[in-house]
Amino acid sequence: MDELELLENRLQRERLARKQAEALLEEKSETLYLLNQDLVKLAADLAEREEASRSILEATGDGIITLDESGRIDSFNRAAKGIFGYSQEQVVGQNIDKLFPMGITGEAFKNIPHMQDMERSGELHEATGRRADGSEFFMEISLSQGQLLQRRMIIVSVRDITQRKKAEEERKYMEIQLRQAQKLESIGQLAAGIAHEINTPIQFVGDNTRFLLDAFADIERLLSIYDQVLEAVRANEITEGLVTSVNSIANEIDLDYLRSEIPQAISQTLDGTDRVARIVRAMKEFSHPGDEAKSLIDINKAIQSTITVSRNEWKYDAELETDLDLTLPTVPCLASEFNQVILNIIVNAVHAIRDGKSDDSTAKGAILITTKQEGDWAKISIRDSGSGIPEAIRSKIFDPFFTTKGVGKGTGQGLAIAYSAIVDKHAGTIDVQSEVGVGTTFTIKLPMQG
Amino acid sequence: MKTRILFVDDEPGILDGLRRLLRSYRNEWEMSFASSGQEALAIVAEQSIDAVVTDMRMPGMDGSQLLNELARCHPEIVRFVLSGYSDDEMIIKSVGTAHQYLSKPCDSDLLKAALSRALSLRKLLHEERLLALVSGVSSLPSLPEVYLEILETLRSDGASLRKVGETISRDPAITAKVLQLVNSAFFGLGRKISNPADAASLLGLDVLKTLALSAGVFSQFDQNKISTSDFSLAQVFDHCIAVGLLGKRIAASEEAESNLVSECLLAGTLHDLGKLIIVNEYPEEYARMRLMAKGEGMSEYLAEKEILGATHAEVAAYLLGLWGFTDSVVEAVAYHHQPGLSSYAEFTPLTAVHVANALEGAAQANERTAPCAGLDMSYLEASGLADRLESWGRLRESARDSRK
Ligand SMILES: Nc1ncnc2c1ncn2[C@@H]1O[C@H](COP(=O)(O)OP(=O)(O)OP(=O)(O)O)[C@@H](O)[C@H]1O
Ligand SMILES: [Fe+2]
Ligand SMILES: [Fe+2]
Ligand SMILES: [Mg+2]
Repeated sequence: MDELELLENRLQRERLARKQAEALLEEKSETLYLLNQDLVKLAADLAEREEASRSILEATGDGIITLDESGRIDSFNRAAKGIFGYSQEQVVGQNIDKLFPMGITGEAFKNIPHMQDMERSGELHEATGRRADGSEFFMEISLSQGQLLQRRMIIVSVRDITQRKKAEEERKYMEIQLRQAQKLESIGQLAAGIAHEINTPIQFVGDNTRFLLDAFADIERLLSIYDQVLEAVRANEITEGLVTSVNSIANEIDLDYLRSEIPQAISQTLDGTDRVARIVRAMKEFSHPGDEAKSLIDINKAIQSTITVSRNEWKYDAELETDLDLTLPTVPCLASEFNQVILNIIVNAVHAIRDGKSDDSTAKGAILITTKQEGDWAKISIRDSGSGIPEAIRSKIFDPFFTTKGVGKGTGQGLAIAYSAIVDKHAGTIDVQSEVGVGTTFTIKLPMQG
Repeated sequence: MKTRILFVDDEPGILDGLRRLLRSYRNEWEMSFASSGQEALAIVAEQSIDAVVTDMRMPGMDGSQLLNELARCHPEIVRFVLSGYSDDEMIIKSVGTAHQYLSKPCDSDLLKAALSRALSLRKLLHEERLLALVSGVSSLPSLPEVYLEILETLRSDGASLRKVGETISRDPAITAKVLQLVNSAFFGLGRKISNPADAASLLGLDVLKTLALSAGVFSQFDQNKISTSDFSLAQVFDHCIAVGLLGKRIAASEEAESNLVSECLLAGTLHDLGKLIIVNEYPEEYARMRLMAKGEGMSEYLAEKEILGATHAEVAAYLLGLWGFTDSVVEAVAYHHQPGLSSYAEFTPLTAVHVANALEGAAQANERTAPCAGLDMSYLEASGLADRLESWGRLRESARDSRK
């Protein structure tokens, strides 16, 4: 019994011990399992992170190239491959020179590989790159450096800006075109007006000349008996009949009328041809073809010719007066651009006058153009008696395409062009003062020294 | 009595020049001069004026405003423009109200000729009220269908000028207006254009579009406004076009030069436009005239003369003359029922239109003419063309057949 009891007890102890051991094992293995789990996760994390940074590197549109200190290429991301057309293998280990025809001595690479001046890190430079096929292109690069296992690493990021450069150039070109177009359009508009200004004197010059021809034929009749009269006087044989026929011819041709009219016809004819000549001269001065560089310009004369050329634009709506300082020295100036500015402002003034006029009024408005010297500046002001510019839009009028005029009446470019011509091209200033219902004054100042 | 002409221009030099230039006409013309539209209206209110020649752009009232005012208050006055502008806007502004446009610089002979011609046309119409009526006409009624088709053609992408020209030629009223415009001196053509296709291509799509949309240039026929139901515009137009085509064939068969051939076509196309004016303006008289012609078995044009004091032929000729159509077209229209009144004895557009109208008219219920199908045999004999009649008749038959 004891033996059995003993056996029983031992068995029970062993069972207990095994249970404990099992529990321990279970506990241990769970810890292990968890540990292992962590490890796996860590590894996965790491891989993921590397993958992530690599894929970021690969996905980025910028080309990223890393160099060692001597300028040898360490790595080359996918965008860089796309930009340069090389594969990783073709460039790794090679000198960066391969990618930059200007070499690392070029402006942007002055500090590589001894890039001490870390303040320049991250700064953008423009450079020229060379592709695998030998073609060259514009790019923007920035440099920075990092540390990798005690080794200094230079990171070059490159961006192909050929498109942007092209767009920029395109825009510049379009701007020139646009300006040209506006100028052409205003010349086209002017042309119709100028044609009218010329056709008018041509019409009456022709009419007067035709009259003079007729008048001379009449006078010829009188002259035809001149010889007879002379003869008669010489011979002292003037007859009543001769006198009567002289008188009757004089009557028939209305000699008195011809006498008073012929000199007037001649002077109006001369006046007409002068007018044509003046317009033609002003046209030449106004358009000043092909002056790219500034030359010394008589501002007063330029204003006069612009007024002459645009006469048809303002004469129906305004009296235009000038008060010009004739002692004003010449000013370095792009003549045709300056003339265009004056024209734009005159046309605006006419529009404002029309705008401010009540429908039934036939009174004309007034435009006054003055010039004067103020220190080192030539000052030009153009005042109109038009509708004025409301305070609220005064700051916008120089913006490109800002207009309050209807379609076909204004494109909103007149003052934008004026601003760029005066401020950007001549380093001058253009200002406006205005009172609604009273009028507007534009003031331009140009430096006398270019 | 002298003819009184008023010149209007804001440029004194122009007025002085014209005064001197036209001095040689001082025995026939009495000339006044005004330096603004307002001044011109004041003069017109006080004196009776036969013709006004005005500048377009002037300060205050401009030329087109002046012409509008004149057309309203003094329609009998002949209205000319003499302008230094040649832009489309100006033309279109005045196309409704100006009878003719002359551009500066204008040849003095041309000015004199155009004025004397327009004024001499007055002998066509003796009655003051008809003069006023006809010179007040700025457009002739056209067929709504054709007008619509022109608009549609113009609006479509890639509109073709040829197509527009073809469509225009189907409407005598629009044809007349378009040719008036294209032949005005604004367009600076040395020669006269006589067919709508050339006119369309010269004017271009933009001008045509603006014209088509401008009020007062083309008007549409409204049957409801006409109190008599005895009138069909489509029938008159069909007849006009048939006469034009036959006139052209006749001219071609006479081996006339191409210029003359196309004038025959044009004169034929326009010859009965006077009926439109009469039925539009005097519907009652028109109805009475029809009754009288039927009742007494007389020719319609004679009944017109009796009731209105002028025939549809004279009315149309006066208008076309004012609009600057050539003398031969005006004469062909004026005398298409009475060619004997003309002083010419050779083959002219009048011959073609007279014969074509008689041959076509014989088949037309609308134009029942006197015996011998309305043909003036003594005119044809005097012209030595009577023996051609038979072959011209055959031309009509073959034209009819080919149309079937
Ligand atoms: N003298 C003036 N009086 C009143 N308003 C003016 C005057 N000048 C310019 N403006 C205002 O400034 C706006 C811009 O002028 P801007 O000359 O640039 O364009 P625009 O005259 O409208 O068109 P564009 O000159 O291209 O034909 C005008 O639309 C008008 O509202
Ligand atoms: Fe007829
Ligand atoms: Fe007829
Ligand atoms: Mg402007």
